[in-house]
Formats: sequence, structure tokens, C-alpha cells
Amino acid sequence: MPIDLVPAVDSAGLPGPAWLFHLLLVFTFFLHLLFLNLALGGTLLAAVAHTKSGGRKDHPCGALARRLVTMNSFGISLAITTGVAPLLFIQVLYHQYFYTGTILIGGAWFGLVGLLIAAYYAAYLYKLKGAPTTGTGGGGWIWSAAIAFLLIAAIHVSVHLVHVQPAKWADFAESGWRVLLDPTFAPRLLHFVFAGVGFSALISAWWAVRQASRGIAVELNSSIAAIAWKWALWSTVAVVVDGVLLLMLLPREVLLGLMQGGAAVHIPLTLGILGAIGLLVMMARVHDPVKAASTVGGTLHGMILVVAIMALTRHEIRLVYLQPTKHLQSFTVASQWFNFGLFVVVLLACLGVVAFMVRRVLTSPAEGSDAA
Amino acid sequence: MDYPIWDVTVGGGVLMGIVAIAHVIVSHFAIGGGLLIAVSETLAVRRGDSQLRELARRSSFALILISTVFGAISGVGIWVVAGLIAPGAISALIHNYVWGWAIEWAFFFLEIVAALVYFATWDKISKAAHVMVGWVYFVAAYLSLVIINGIVTFMLTPGQWLETGAFWDGFFNPTYWPSLVLRTGICLMMAASFLLFAARRADAEARSRLTRFVGWWMVAGVLVSYAGYRWWEAALPETVRAMFQADSPLITGLNATRSMTLWALAVALGLALVFLVALPRAARLPIVAMVAVAAFIFFGSYERLREAVRKPFLIHSFMFSNGLGIDDIASINENGMASVSGWVAAAAEDGQLAFGRQLFRTQCAACHTVDGYLAMRERVFEEAEDNSDFLMVMRAQGDYYLELENGQIAVTSDYDIPYMPPFVGNDEDIEALGAYLATLAPVAETDTQEAGGE
Repeated sequence: MPIDLVPAVDSAGLPGPAWLFHLLLVFTFFLHLLFLNLALGGTLLAAVAHTKSGGRKDHPCGALARRLVTMNSFGISLAITTGVAPLLFIQVLYHQYFYTGTILIGGAWFGLVGLLIAAYYAAYLYKLKGAPTTGTGGGGWIWSAAIAFLLIAAIHVSVHLVHVQPAKWADFAESGWRVLLDPTFAPRLLHFVFAGVGFSALISAWWAVRQASRGIAVELNSSIAAIAWKWALWSTVAVVVDGVLLLMLLPREVLLGLMQGGAAVHIPLTLGILGAIGLLVMMARVHDPVKAASTVGGTLHGMILVVAIMALTRHEIRLVYLQPTKHLQSFTVASQWFNFGLFVVVLLACLGVVAFMVRRVLTSPAEGSDAA
Repeated sequence: MDYPIWDVTVGGGVLMGIVAIAHVIVSHFAIGGGLLIAVSETLAVRRGDSQLRELARRSSFALILISTVFGAISGVGIWVVAGLIAPGAISALIHNYVWGWAIEWAFFFLEIVAALVYFATWDKISKAAHVMVGWVYFVAAYLSLVIINGIVTFMLTPGQWLETGAFWDGFFNPTYWPSLVLRTGICLMMAASFLLFAARRADAEARSRLTRFVGWWMVAGVLVSYAGYRWWEAALPETVRAMFQADSPLITGLNATRSMTLWALAVALGLALVFLVALPRAARLPIVAMVAVAAFIFFGSYERLREAVRKPFLIHSFMFSNGLGIDDIASINENGMASVSGWVAAAAEDGQLAFGRQLFRTQCAACHTVDGYLAMRERVFEEAEDNSDFLMVMRAQGDYYLELENGQIAVTSDYDIPYMPPFVGNDEDIEALGAYLATLAPVAETDTQEAGGE
């Protein structure tokens, strides 16, 4: 009988029912995905746009790059902030798998911290010392940030692949690099990359269309919208193709698990695929985004919905992967309902303060001596 | 205990120390900086003091670049390192305090959004609205400290939690309030340390005035820290204080650390009173740097002390620094480590030395490296039997813990080696670990190489 390497479930048990943590994990991961798409895809797109502009900020691609890094001053921060919550909840539900996965590729997982700091500061340096501020240059900074984010994505994909495959842990213990040989590694990574680029491009197109519709720098915004729309379209094509390839490359038992998984697996997976194809149809119908502002807005809303569905799908696929060790996940439950209620109250209060603060900021323009 | 082991050349504890101290310096600056910046801008707007407002503006840029980037990421870094070197402990903490962490996350989210809005809206919104955003930032940041302080102090003094297992019993533990006061003072000190440099960039005319203004905050920070520190020491259980404070402290190095902590505080106070408050014109760059260094030394020494006096535990009287729990001792002593850890069982199939090496990694490597920090090679006997004899003594030390009543704190100061966890395992484990340790002895190196070991 093979030795079971899966650690025991934590004896402290769950401080709430398992469904609640599954819900929180999926929901907060969805929020994280939105900003993660901006950080990863937005930085990659900014790097490409910067290069295409020849490093000049007056070129439409240069303006696109500037907008993306400006947006990412918030985007990267919020990607980190929203990433803390799913990191917390995955440890609650999957600590035996997750910690083991990170330990088996410990060097890379620890390196992620340094890469994140490097990526963030490089993006800031591009914004403050490169073309967005000085009018030219800074390509090295933005490419450094893009490559660092790409490596971070690769590390996350690696941890995911290791933690869901306990049967391969003994192999990974000999060399963590073996995770790169997993047939789904590259398509998984590319799935994140294409989705991130597509989402960031769509946000950029939507913003440019909104500006142009209000009569602000119409020519520049129309150019940006057209460029970004094209990126959004082709990235989404790549996501769909890559997604199909990823499905085909899943281990046979996982694929069978998906087929036999029932409505909980079939519905989100089917909706995700149909949603992505629907987005493609919507995008392909638009030739001039500025003239189709409502379709652009609808496509953005549709993409956010698809991201939510894909967050759920990814979670379901994890459950299928871990199905053979399900017997090891029998938690005792010692609910702390008061503390959960306190969390909900505090979270709502904080969101309320954010809303109040943003409203106050938007309705309090600098006047007279307040203005710079 | 049943996780694989991540080998760190410098030692897991050292790595955690580096990441944690870098993070706490920045995170306390982020909180104290929020207060000083909000107060500065409020006063500046009321008095029409443009230089004071500039000080707040310059400092807010640093707050964004240092706190929201390095602070936030290094905070995640602590989780990353904890999961790598002490997965059992971080799992225990998270399963008990997930809602505490979730509440802290909500405040953290508000803090980050407010920081970004604050920085992005200088001179773009009314001054009153901008001041309001600054205060939102500070309140959110401070409330995140109010929460995380409960979890951090729980590890050293879990208090009634040991008996009841109740969230709030562990949260409001014996050192919660002293530590909150102490950390409030530290927040002021860290913020003042940084703002002193920002004040130096003001016009010559305003520099002295701003230096004195920040100097008073430093003095306040030192005094609050001192009060908090003394209260913290008084609130510690006798057995913990015995580690560093008794007539003959159990760890003499920690007594020196305590002295350094208090002397650094005294130096910071003296320099602040003389050069920042009384003679601010004399507060040149070297003086300002000395004040900041004294403040950092105080904080770093305190953190080192707080971590070290917890030995041999990660969570006092509950889980040892190698992740083994007191509750695990009896069954593992009877059935061996391989009965609870698949990783140890797998290593046992590869022969006694491989088995012993895995036991070393599981039970010793949390504190000892082979050649680096607390090097094992300098501490082992050449003969396997001698190592085994020592392990027998350490296993017998585990019997003390078995006698603890539910909820009773372990009085480790009575033990033979109070800062080391007991060895936990059966005779076969002792034999294998003893044999492996013998291969580390310098004279046995040749034999080891032949055996394909270290």
C-alpha cells in the first residue's frame, strides 16, 4: 500500500460550516481575479503598447500604456489587498494540500514576495521616470514589471498544480521543477495571461469610449478604443482556444470527474464556455467601438460575469482533482457565528466608509485657495 | 509535524526574523505615519501653515511607496514564510482566528483604498475632504493593529484559551493591552523617525519648527513605549520572565537583548529631548539618523525578545517550535513519528540514515541548521549511542508536559533545558536520529561521504 503523504486535517476544525468558506473563497478569489487581470494583463499590455509607440507618450499606444500604468497604481495595490482574503480562506479549507504544495516548491514560493515588490516598484518607476511622466523612455522598467508578473503567475500556477496532485508529491519532493512538465502547466499559465490582457484591453476600450462619447480628446480616445478593442478581441479568441486545449490536456480521471460531476460542475463549466463564445460574438460585431458604446459596456459587464463563472469553475475543478483524497477532508465544525457576524458588520461598515469617502471626494472639488 | 520540510540554509527562524522585522517596522510606520500626517494636515489647514502641509504631502508619498507596497507585500511575506517553515502553527492560528484575520482584512482594505485616494487627491479636492480621507486612513490602519495585536500576543500568552479554547479568551490575553500600548508608542516612534528626514527638506526657516514638532511626537512615542514595555514585562508569566529577567536568566543572551532594548529607548529619548525639542537647529543629519537608528534598535530588540522568550513554543503551552503539539507527545512516543507523518514513513523505507535525517528535519531543523545558525555539527557527539542518550533525556523532558492539567501554563523554567522542545518519538526513532547526528560530527565526515550522507 502506498504511503499517504497528505497531512492530517487540523484538529482545531472549522470555525464555521464548510460551505461558508467555499463561498467566501470563490467570491474573494473572483474579486482578486478582477484586479489580478489588471496587474498581470495590464502591465503586459502596457509593455507591448509602450514598445509599439516607440516609447513616446504622444503616440496612441503610448497613451494607452500611460493609462494602464496609472490605472495599475490602484490595480496592483488592490490585487494584493484582495488576494489576502482568498489566501486566508484557502488555508482554512485546504491547508494540508496548500502548505504542502508551497513547501515542495518553497524557493519559488518565497521568491514570489521579492518578485512582487520588484514588479510593483518597476511599474512605479516606469510611471514616474519613464514615458508617462518624462515623455519618453522607461521601456526597461515596464518590461521588468511585466516579466516579474509573468513569473508570479507561473509560480501561482505551479503551486496550484502541485497542491491538487498529492499522488505526485513524492516526485515533486525530488525536484519541484518537475511541475513544469505537467501538460497543463503552459495552457493554464497562458489562460491567465490571455484573460488578463483581454480584460485590461476591454477596460481600456470602455474608458476610451466613455471619454470620447463625452467629447474629451475624441481623436486620441477613438484611436485608443480601436487599438484596445482589437487586443480584447484577439486575446479572447486565444482564451477560448487555450481553454479548449486545457480541457483536453486535463488528466483522464479529472476529465472523467468533470463529466460525471453533476450540475455543480456542468453548469458553471458550460456557462463559462458559452459566455466566452458570447463575448467573442459581441466583440466581433463591433468595428468602431466609439459608435457602439452600449455594446462595449455590455461586453465589459459580460466579461466580469464570465470571470465570476470561471472562478467557480476553477474551484470545482480543484474539488475534482482532490476527489480521491476526499476522505481526508473530514473537518469537525465549531462555528463562531458571533465572530462571523462581526466580520460581516465590519466589512459592510468599511465598504460604507469607502462609498462615503469616494462620494465626498467626487463632490468636493478644489476651489479657490484649495486648488493647486 | 506531518508536512514536508523546506530546507533553508540560514534557518527558518532567521528568515522569519528578517521578513517579520522588516514588515513590522514599515507597518508601524504606516500606522503612526497616518496619525502624524493627518494631524499635520489638520493643523496646517487650520493655521494656514503651508510648510506643515508640505511636510504632510511629502510624507504621504513615502507612505504610499513604502507602506502600501512594501508593507502590504511583506505582510503577505510573513504568511508565506510561516506556511513554509511552520505550517502546523500557522494552520492552528488560522483555524482559531480566521474571523479575526478576516476582520483585519476588512480594515486593511479600507486602509489601502484611503491611502491611494489620499495620495491621488492632493490639491484636487477641497482641503476639508482631503483631511477627512487622511483620518479615515489612520483610523482604519490603527484598527487593523487593534485586531492583529490580539493574534500576535496570543502566541506568547494564550491565557484562558488553553482551558476554554474560546476565541475571545485567547484574543484578550494577559499581554493584549500592554502590547497595544507599547505598539502605539512604537507607531509614533517609527513615524517620527521618518518624518524627521522629511522635515529636513523644508525651508531653512521652517526646518527648526517642524523638527521640534516631530520631536515632540518622538518623545511621546518613547514615553508611551516605555510604559507599554514595562507593563508588558509585568504581565508576562513568571516562567517567561525567568528566560531573560531573573537574577540568573535562563538565556543570558536575552538579558543582554533586554538591556539593549531599554538603552536604545533611553538614547532615543535623550537625543530627542536635547536635539529635536530643545535645540532643533542642531539636529543635523547625523543626529537625526542616530535618533532613527536608536528607535529601530529598540523596536528590533523588543521583537527579538518577544519571539525568543516564547521558546520552546510557537504557541505557548500548546505547540512547540517544531510544530509538534503537547497533545501529540504520548501517541508518538508510543508509535513513532512514522505513524503520524507520511514523509517520515517514506524516508524510513530508504534506510536508517535517511530516516534519521528526516527526523532531524522534522524535530530539530525549526531552530538548528547543519552548518549555519545554531549549527548541529557543533553540537553532536561522535558516537550514535551518546546522541541517543541525549535524546532519551530530551524525551524524558516531554513527561513534564504530559503532567500538565488542562489549561495550565507550562513552567519551562523548571526543566533541564527550558528553551528546547522535548524529543518526541519511540526507541526506533531515537536510534535512527542518534545515528544520523553521529554522521554530522566533524570526525565522521569521511564515513558520511562514503555513506552518501551529508
